[in-house]
Amino acid sequence: MSVVLAILWKDLVTEWRSRDRVVAMAVFSFLVVLVLHFALPARDAAEARRLAPGLLWVAYVFAALLGLNRAFALELENEALSGLALAPADRGWVFLGKAAANFVILGAVQAATAVVFALFFAVDLWAVAAPLAGVVALGSLGVCAVGTLFGAVAVRTRYREVMLPLLLLPLLVPVLLPAVDATAGLLETGTLRWPPVQLLLVIDAVFGIVSFVSFEYVLDE
Amino acid sequence: MSEAACAVAVEGLEKRFGPVVALAGLDFAVPAGSVLAVLGPNGAGKSTLLRLLAGLARPSAGQVRIGAAQDGDRRRVRGRVGYVGHATFLYPNLTARENLLFAARLYGVAEPGRRADALLDEQGLEALSARPAGSFSRGQAQRLAIARGLVHDPPVVLLDEPFTGLDPTSADRLAARVRALATAGRAVVLVTHDLAQAAALGDRALLLVRGRVAFDSAPAAPSAAALEAAWRAAGTA
Repeated sequence: MSVVLAILWKDLVTEWRSRDRVVAMAVFSFLVVLVLHFALPARDAAEARRLAPGLLWVAYVFAALLGLNRAFALELENEALSGLALAPADRGWVFLGKAAANFVILGAVQAATAVVFALFFAVDLWAVAAPLAGVVALGSLGVCAVGTLFGAVAVRTRYREVMLPLLLLPLLVPVLLPAVDATAGLLETGTLRWPPVQLLLVIDAVFGIVSFVSFEYVLDE
Repeated sequence: MSEAACAVAVEGLEKRFGPVVALAGLDFAVPAGSVLAVLGPNGAGKSTLLRLLAGLARPSAGQVRIGAAQDGDRRRVRGRVGYVGHATFLYPNLTARENLLFAARLYGVAEPGRRADALLDEQGLEALSARPAGSFSRGQAQRLAIARGLVHDPPVVLLDEPFTGLDPTSADRLAARVRALATAGRAVVLVTHDLAQAAALGDRALLLVRGRVAFDSAPAAPSAAALEAAWRAAGTA
């Protein structure tokens, strides 16, 4: 567990000092919201509520892709990734530390994006803020689990910026479908539908366990 | 020599990258309290050998034993090895002390703060402890990387060209430190291009050429003249 906390501390301190990842992710997701606002203008409140779940998750996924690509790029400098691989612990703990840091950073960007999204699309997200945060957190767990695994795979490839979206986007479909469904239910009725939430929990568990176990081999040369 | 006395034992070690054979059938042992110098031209397989010993890569054939820990038990192998590679493994945005604290926590060191301070003092970096590692000169970063490699007080120390970038004073200090590590009972594997340094520090020297042992000084300690002759005979001069 100390390995998880050490990596989480290290990633958050380095991000706090540079702020390069969180700023890039936030600016990018704001621009995505802006583009979507003009590309798919909502004529009334009902249409805005109908469009909002999908568009919000599009912004979140793009922000996550940018952040996950950067998460392991910082480990390339001075071959710090090898330093992590040398830790005498199950490498699954290294995965958990990196995934936890990704989750915290993505969560901060998602909160800011939600505010901008609510302003541009005139959707009242505040009324469902708590359950929405829960749904977004569950969706982000799945995104960060599989994204951290494939971020580590892609970082050692020649075309890592292109490779991560190619590997990750198809795998995110099982997360996005219930996440968008649960978000839509919240915005339409103001109440949480349990079937998509339960599905998200199962997918998070599967992605988390598979990524935890696979990370041992990902860090091997 | 008994197996128990060997801190590092390598048997039939091979590493292939596709069709390229990086290491072919190496056999050697490094007793505790001794320094093995590994020499060779670029591409001889020296760094690959160290990464296999450190548990960073898996052998294609053969095995590595670090103390009682075998290659299959890679967690224990990694815990018994201190590895200072070509790269420093340092995070430029963290201070020198934070880099050591982080490494100490990765290795589960008790009282990581005290250990970090002791290592900074040992490497003469105490005045720079609050400075980001990214602002360090090559020599300072190398000293910090060495401190990082020793943070968990490992019984086996692997040094990949550690004198690179060090000024003469720092190099002398490191040479004394390498000898002190061996005197304290640690097994040291030192990769270097410097024949004189290998002769001065090594209790045994191996010359690798294209992944094979071209010269082994055992059982004698290496002399600079013998190493130079072997280097020339192997066609690496």
